[in-house]
Amino acid sequence: MHNMKKCLKIGLFAMLAVAMTSCLYSDFPIDEDGLLITNRSECYVSRLTLLGTDLQSMHYNFEDAVIDTVACTIQVRLKYGADLKNVYPQFSLVTDAKLEPKVTGFTDFSDYKTNPPKYTVISGNRKVRKTYTIYIQEMDFIPY
Amino acid sequence: MNRMKNIIGASLLALFVWGFASCQHEEENLTFGNKCIKRSLGPNVWSTQMEFAYAMAIRPELGNLVEAKVEASIPGAEGTLLENQSWYAKLDGMDTAIVVGEPCVTEGTLSTVKFNRDTCASTLRYYYTIPEEAKGKEVSFTFSAKASNGETVSMQMGPYTVASMDMKLDIALGGPVSYISIEDMAAYTAAEAATMPEKIDLVYFFESYTLAEVEGYDQGVAFNHAFVAPAADAEKFLPDIKLPAGVNRNTKIRDVGIKDAHLARLHLKDSPEAQPAIFIDDIDLRDMDMSTMPNYALDLITNDGMFIETQDGKYKAYIYINSARTGRVGATISMKRYTMY
Repeated sequence: MHNMKKCLKIGLFAMLAVAMTSCLYSDFPIDEDGLLITNRSECYVSRLTLLGTDLQSMHYNFEDAVIDTVACTIQVRLKYGADLKNVYPQFSLVTDAKLEPKVTGFTDFSDYKTNPPKYTVISGNRKVRKTYTIYIQEMDFIPY
Repeated sequence: MNRMKNIIGASLLALFVWGFASCQHEEENLTFGNKCIKRSLGPNVWSTQMEFAYAMAIRPELGNLVEAKVEASIPGAEGTLLENQSWYAKLDGMDTAIVVGEPCVTEGTLSTVKFNRDTCASTLRYYYTIPEEAKGKEVSFTFSAKASNGETVSMQMGPYTVASMDMKLDIALGGPVSYISIEDMAAYTAAEAATMPEKIDLVYFFESYTLAEVEGYDQGVAFNHAFVAPAADAEKFLPDIKLPAGVNRNTKIRDVGIKDAHLARLHLKDSPEAQPAIFIDDIDLRDMDMSTMPNYALDLITNDGMFIETQDGKYKAYIYINSARTGRVGATISMKRYTMY
């Protein structure tokens, strides 16, 4: 009986701890995507890789995209023959930020010359929005 | 607490009774028994082999094994046989074989081995080479064994669905240009392609052009090993290549990183080259959406793969590059092909 009482006490304590933790986090509401709205106001893209249908980088020589977080531009050089109708943009964002529009699969970037792709980063507190423009350069070759 | 103890005690007793009953059941069948497992993995594609291990055993005091048989519902192709050697695992874990019977006799659907060694337990392997006529059908097998006391045991395996796709291994691509036909699952020279232009779906070549707009013009090249549809933009993707008259089909190509185990056979290699077996089945080819895919794939290397759809939509295929020579023309490819209609 002594053991039973001890178990009950531990159980009650655990339940209380869970309830308190829930209360702490209830300060952060949830947005329409089910993500926490936090206090963070940072808002930037830290990395972008354009992947092909083989889910490998299409970047020329696997070089990194050049990201200007002030001008909100991303410069990417793609290897010759990269299929721009089927691009999977893989973004890394600052903590708690989210992207609009969402990347849900392969995207058509083939009209990048007239209509450079734009993605908006939204900060963790959902108060800062920055629209990044992706400028693509396709490599060309010199025939003999 | 006492009640808890009673519940636990009752549960343990029930488990014990169930375990004992199971043992008794096994015991009843131990006079002469047989078991079978399918050893081969992946989709069953015609021309490949399905492999089974068939184990049979009789109590020594009751007799010995005299015959083992396998009957397939569809006659196997050449290479179908029931081995006349029994396999067991030695202490070091290595599979070891001992000849226990006369060589297998396969007639029609039936493969038979007659034992010539006094043995009461044996595990024989059965290899069924899937015939072309089994494509898209189901095949099943009846394994049976006979003992010297006249007793027989048997068991049914399957049915197993045989894939509808076709497969061709190790197609050599030479230079300077090879013309690939998905319909024929073959590669041709320019002269050969000129005689059958309507069958040519892909052009293979190797080019190493210097890239423009890179400082010094020495930092990279375009093309390398390239697979391009004859109808692709010639200036951009077929530079300096004069296609034979009439070779003009437009083929969709999806570059992928999948290494199909039937074609790549990397899972059969020793470590560190060995890779897990991944198989492309009918459904992967049939349901692959190729509508937005380009008509070229450039800079491919050994172990790359690509899905293909022919212009008329009749065929979808997967091509795997088994080897591509470094810095020059020449490659070996393997192909799986699904006929859509």
